[in-house]
Amino acid sequence: MQYMILIYGREADYANVSEAEMGQVYAEYMEYSKALVAAKAFVGGASLKEIATATTVRVKNGKTTTTDGPFAETKEQLGGYYIVEAATLDEAVKWAAKCPGAKHGSCEVRPLGVITGADGGIAAMQ
Amino acid sequence: MKYMLLIYGDEQTLAMRPEAERSSMMEEYHVFTKDLISAKSFVGASSLKATTTGTTVRVRNGKTTMTDGPFAETKEQLGGYYIVDCATLNEAIACASKIPCVRTAHSSCEVRPLGIITGSDGGIAVTQ
Repeated sequence: MQYMILIYGREADYANVSEAEMGQVYAEYMEYSKALVAAKAFVGGASLKEIATATTVRVKNGKTTTTDGPFAETKEQLGGYYIVEAATLDEAVKWAAKCPGAKHGSCEVRPLGVITGADGGIAAMQ
Repeated sequence: MKYMLLIYGDEQTLAMRPEAERSSMMEEYHVFTKDLISAKSFVGASSLKATTTGTTVRVRNGKTTMTDGPFAETKEQLGGYYIVDCATLNEAIACASKIPCVRTAHSSCEVRPLGIITGSDGGIAVTQ
């Protein structure tokens, strides 16, 4: 079963981090990603660019409005995700606990529902 | 450039829609996705099960705590996503405005450019 690990953290905490420290964070993430791959649990993953680059889109009565920034103000912001293959929620939660992001922020584990296939149809319904 | 289209809606309200409406929306999603594929913009998509099925994990000083549910209480919850490949942010925004749930005003969509994309070997596939 596929699960999404949503990595939330306070962007402001990274504002004054040195290049060396950031390098350390990237190295930890790469080690984590490789561990997922070795366990045949890795499906996908990416970081998201900072909230300042976000745009929220709403449509009302056929009219589209865009606002700069995220859908809501939250103490922690979504910074990235992994999609993992795990037999149970417990297994997915264990992976989330190993994610570097869990140490400073929060990792929300969510089972996927209807997964879209490359042909636009339903690949899987979990 | 790859963008994530994060679809947020009020789970409780969405859950109360009649079956006919949900089925017709699934059909609209099918059409929307096929349009993205024709435009060579589709990269991936999935819905997420309700936040009540989720668990939030935090590790502090080596100790792991788990709480049921999402990372925070919000009026709208993350219900699904698309990943699209578009030439510009405006193109990604145009895609977002056509997402069936967003078009009917049941949801909003946060458009976020991807940063570092992990490859299938666990290394860096792309840095955007």
